[in-house]
Amino acid sequence: MNSNNSLQPTSLDWRETIRKNNHKTFMVIFLFFLIYFALGLLVDVYLYSGTHDSMYGRPSISEIVIALLTFKLFPIATLIMLGIAGISLLITYSAYDKIMLLGTDYHEIDPNNFLNLTEKQLYNVVEEIKIAAGLRFMPRVYIIEAEYMNAFASGYSEKSAMVAITRGLMAKLNRAELQAVMAHEISHIRHMDIKLTLTASILANLMVIVLDLLFYNALFSRRSDRNNGLAIVIMVLRYLLPILNILLLLYLSRTREYSADAGCVELMRDNQSLATALLKINTDHEANAAAYDQAYKSTPHENVRREAYIFDPIQAGIESTHSFSDLFSTHPSLADRLKAIGFIFNK
Amino acid sequence: MSTGIIILIAAVIIFGFIVITYNALIALIEAVRNNQKQVDIQLDRRFKVFESLIEVVKKYMDYEKSTLKDVVALRNQAQAAHARGDESSRIEAENKISAIASGLSVVFEQYPDLKANQNALQLQEEIVNTENKLAYSKQALNDSIERYNATKKSFFTSIIVGFFKGKLDFDFPYWQLSSEKIAEQENYTVKL
Repeated sequence: MNSNNSLQPTSLDWRETIRKNNHKTFMVIFLFFLIYFALGLLVDVYLYSGTHDSMYGRPSISEIVIALLTFKLFPIATLIMLGIAGISLLITYSAYDKIMLLGTDYHEIDPNNFLNLTEKQLYNVVEEIKIAAGLRFMPRVYIIEAEYMNAFASGYSEKSAMVAITRGLMAKLNRAELQAVMAHEISHIRHMDIKLTLTASILANLMVIVLDLLFYNALFSRRSDRNNGLAIVIMVLRYLLPILNILLLLYLSRTREYSADAGCVELMRDNQSLATALLKINTDHEANAAAYDQAYKSTPHENVRREAYIFDPIQAGIESTHSFSDLFSTHPSLADRLKAIGFIFNK
Repeated sequence: MSTGIIILIAAVIIFGFIVITYNALIALIEAVRNNQKQVDIQLDRRFKVFESLIEVVKKYMDYEKSTLKDVVALRNQAQAAHARGDESSRIEAENKISAIASGLSVVFEQYPDLKANQNALQLQEEIVNTENKLAYSKQALNDSIERYNATKKSFFTSIIVGFFKGKLDFDFPYWQLSSEKIAEQENYTVKL
């Protein structure tokens, strides 16, 4: 493996990378809540624009918005929507335990009974990173019986935290590279990325549902007094908002990947191991594209893990539909990731 | 009337800020203390692991007979220094144990029989694991000291620390090598 030759080291400030990406994350999450809130107001405006004609004549939309924001009108839909979001978030947080392993052939490593030395080594590596991260709990460690090289993490608490790694990855990386991959995964747990991603995607899904209800209501309602401007806004939003949501979610996912890479360097104080690990995984995926394509496809529920993987198989040309790869990718490109951890990648 | 309300609100905000800052600093201080103990835990673990490890290796070679004694002696030195509160001699003694650990790894390389032996491989993994855990616990300690110091010295917070000097103001030393040791390590080159 002479991949090191194509890596040219530059400088790296992981503190700055983490700070920058946390700022971006905050903006995205803030934007999600803002859009959600605005959608709630839209529903309220829609409801009130139907009922209050007889009293005031026809109030303009801006008048209703002002009345809602100053609580002259009670923003019932906004509050109900916030309530629903809160409840669904709580339910999802508590029920999210094992969704990530769906469909794979996996087994958990039992720290009291290691089957062999490689298992023990994997567990040790995770435990070392746990100490470096000052994590108060030890995540459960799973091995997935698959040839392809990948790993992912899930959870954020003692009950839910887990890391999983494929047999192929364990076999082909050395100890330091294995540690780098695990440090990346533990960083996801430490940064609570799963919680962030879940929150954003639940809000996105709820928005689409509300917007659909609103759309069909506006389309089929017999309200003679229908406010045409409002109907057009709803119509346009119904097609634009889902796209915006997807772009925001993917952007969020990419900033979290950069953060986890920087977090890995923070924990290991070494960027070489992560760089060579990423390169190995990439080379391996390219070399075995056909076989892995089959393996990924024959594993059910692969989509639940796509964002969480350390490496997005789609980028290596597997499930090869990615013409807008930059905008529509859950992970930054390999060259960008290597650049962010301080290497210039010459292919 | 309205100025009264404004003053009240300002007072509540300032009080809230003080409480939050105070609690955050207490959490940071306790994290540093916990991480100090974590280093102790790892040192203790290493001692126990090496003791049993040397017992096993002894069967293979004479090299180790004196090593166990060395480790025990160094360990006692370290503990005595720790009891005296002399952190620098303690760190020195612990670093000498680290040197013995890398010596053990070299021994493994020299004996192919031993290297091929599954138990020996396990022990080698154990050495790497033990040393890594120790190094990472020191790193975690320094990281938590960094977080505490950065918060403590930042503006506004430093004012509050001024009010509660006894409770919030501590000077935790970073885990580091002595300057002579650094000079020695810097001049070190591999002689083949």
